[in-house]
Amino acid sequence: MNTSPLTHALPRPRSSNWRQRLEILVFAAPAVVVFVSFVILPVIMAGYYGFFRWKGYGTPSDFVGLDNYFAIFQDSAFHEALIHNGTILILSLVLQGPLAIVLALLLNQKIRGRAVIRILIFVPYVISEVIVGIGWGLLLQTDGAINDFLDSVGLGALKADWLSDPQIAIWSLMVIISWKYIGFAVILFLAGLQSIPEELFEAAAIDGASYWQIQRNITLPLLGPTLRIWAFLSIIGSLQLFDLVYIIWGQYVSSTAGTSTMATYMVANGRDAGSYGFGSAVAVVIFIISLIIALTYQRFVLRRDLAGALTEGEK
Amino acid sequence: MKRKKYTAAMLGLLASTTLLLTGCGANTDTNTGGKTTLTLWHNSTTGEGKEYWEKTAIDFEKDNPGTVVKIQPIQNEDMDGKLQTALNSGDAPDIFMARGGGKLADIVEADQVLDITDSLDPSLEGAIGQGVLSAFEVDGKLYGMPIAVLPGGIFYNKDIFTEAGIETPPTTVSELESDSSAIKELGTSAIALGAKDAWPAAHWYYFFALRNCSQDTINATAKAKNFNDSCWLKAGKDLEAFMQSEPFNDGALTTSAQQGAGSSAGLVANNKAAMELMGAWNPGVIASLTPDQKPLASLSWFAFPEVTGGKGEPGAMMGGVDGYSCSAQAPKKECTAFLNFIAQKQQQENYASAFHTLPANKEAQQAVTDPSLQSILAAYNDAPYVMVWLDTLYGQGVGNALNSAVVDLLAQKGTPEDIVKAVNNAWTRG
Repeated sequence: MNTSPLTHALPRPRSSNWRQRLEILVFAAPAVVVFVSFVILPVIMAGYYGFFRWKGYGTPSDFVGLDNYFAIFQDSAFHEALIHNGTILILSLVLQGPLAIVLALLLNQKIRGRAVIRILIFVPYVISEVIVGIGWGLLLQTDGAINDFLDSVGLGALKADWLSDPQIAIWSLMVIISWKYIGFAVILFLAGLQSIPEELFEAAAIDGASYWQIQRNITLPLLGPTLRIWAFLSIIGSLQLFDLVYIIWGQYVSSTAGTSTMATYMVANGRDAGSYGFGSAVAVVIFIISLIIALTYQRFVLRRDLAGALTEGEK
Repeated sequence: MKRKKYTAAMLGLLASTTLLLTGCGANTDTNTGGKTTLTLWHNSTTGEGKEYWEKTAIDFEKDNPGTVVKIQPIQNEDMDGKLQTALNSGDAPDIFMARGGGKLADIVEADQVLDITDSLDPSLEGAIGQGVLSAFEVDGKLYGMPIAVLPGGIFYNKDIFTEAGIETPPTTVSELESDSSAIKELGTSAIALGAKDAWPAAHWYYFFALRNCSQDTINATAKAKNFNDSCWLKAGKDLEAFMQSEPFNDGALTTSAQQGAGSSAGLVANNKAAMELMGAWNPGVIASLTPDQKPLASLSWFAFPEVTGGKGEPGAMMGGVDGYSCSAQAPKKECTAFLNFIAQKQQQENYASAFHTLPANKEAQQAVTDPSLQSILAAYNDAPYVMVWLDTLYGQGVGNALNSAVVDLLAQKGTPEDIVKAVNNAWTRG
């Protein structure tokens, strides 16, 4: 009698596991195919092309080893682009982070017109980069609406060449980027705020904590994981920034105005120069830099969040 | 029993997914019913130019039953990149716009363009002329059909000149500078420049080079592969001096060349700038950007001013030759028939009218009615020689570096020496 039930029980788990694995495989297959086709394969091909001098027609045959990479790292235009990427990265974190936190805290309270303000903050995020670039590009032209407005209200002295003056252009870019992406940060932080238990605030208030003490000791620490995820996405986005710069400045003037990035450098010196091997090498360099920063960030910053999760699990 | 049902369902789903992915990539463009299809890529995305190609395709199809022409307009600045991708992917257009020079040579070297030497209609050889045809020759073989000659020069607004008290166009650079100052005093921009696209700014360097360098030097440079002759540096210095007189529109660095009313062509079209250095396609572009979409009545033209001490011959011109080529996989008989068709007198007259420009076929020159184009035509026919744009002549890599260095000079970030250095580096890089 005991033997009989055991015998019957055995096939079921095996059958379940098999079916489950097949389902996972079938449903995941399309995504895997797309990922391999559009991410993995291009990366491998870029790696391959990066070792050739290739004008883009026919198959590459002029193997040059690491010459393309040496040329990249010796090019002052690439150094400048790298510095611009670094500047954009730091300024994005410094400008958007605090402002987004303030806005999220504000919008997390019940205030009049909250819905309208949320829409105004979030809409820029869903507008295409190309449209944002064209719109802001027109506004900031020397004969654009912003200079016209300054003239009309008697502030003509503040008029500037917002786009091609190297002293100003990077800040114009940061204003546009902040306007464009602040909404994403605010939404993330709002979601993070709403996952903080209300009881903690109530308990702190009962114990006599001030508003600022509550923010500093409860809100920010518990918002930490969300902040770190947002920072990660912002860093990667800054390293790979292309659309806005390309549309507003183009790949030539971005260099003279001080807004060129590694991605616009790649287009200007790769595709537009008909040097596809060189351009592919630049793409590989961008990939490696982004990967190193991403892995480093994950290793030293995000790791504590995972550890926290494990701690929670243990309890 | 349960297992069998699940297996069948999963396999069905897998098959459906596979078929879907396959279907997305399937090439739906196939010859049916014995018809031959030719795909044509051109860069006319607006107005009369676009209409010209649609009409030409219909006319060609009437003359050639069984052949269908499918047209795809490509924005000018995107043409090079898209063409390279298309030629390499094996899904190239049968007929594509080409400008000859080093760019075409790269495509020839990769065996991606048809040799049409034996297919050229004999009557066209004399009508177009060896000088123009040579723009599409590589190593003595013909790889494209010229359909427009586009010499450059300065287009100007006669009304604005009159208002500024300028009776005759300038013939020297110093006269150009003083005329520009007079125009600026009216509150109008003197010279419109679309430096965002780089090549319009670089054209100023090309013309200073044309005035400073002899024809032999410019041609020899293509073989020597360096800008070491002193005339190239002098061209840069002359340009730098000219730029210091601030002749260009405000915000030239972020002005595009031909897109919209805010472009440099748009500034001229809307009477906000008096002049523009541009090729002979410009009356057509300007006509599409005026408020009423008609040619600018006050538009005229004068040759690029002479430079003191220059070794270029007076009256020499520089410009482009626009034409069309067949990709290597195109059906040769039908494709070359189309190329010969568009170069015939009647089609060339239509082209000259639609594009407000100069036809490659001399027999069609009577169709040039625009006064500014008639001025260009006269100067063109009298020119001792006509050079090809330097970024076409020297190829895309060198051309891009040259254009970029000129933008740096305009932005006061580079020097004339940097232009020479950038070009030499680009040639070394290969």
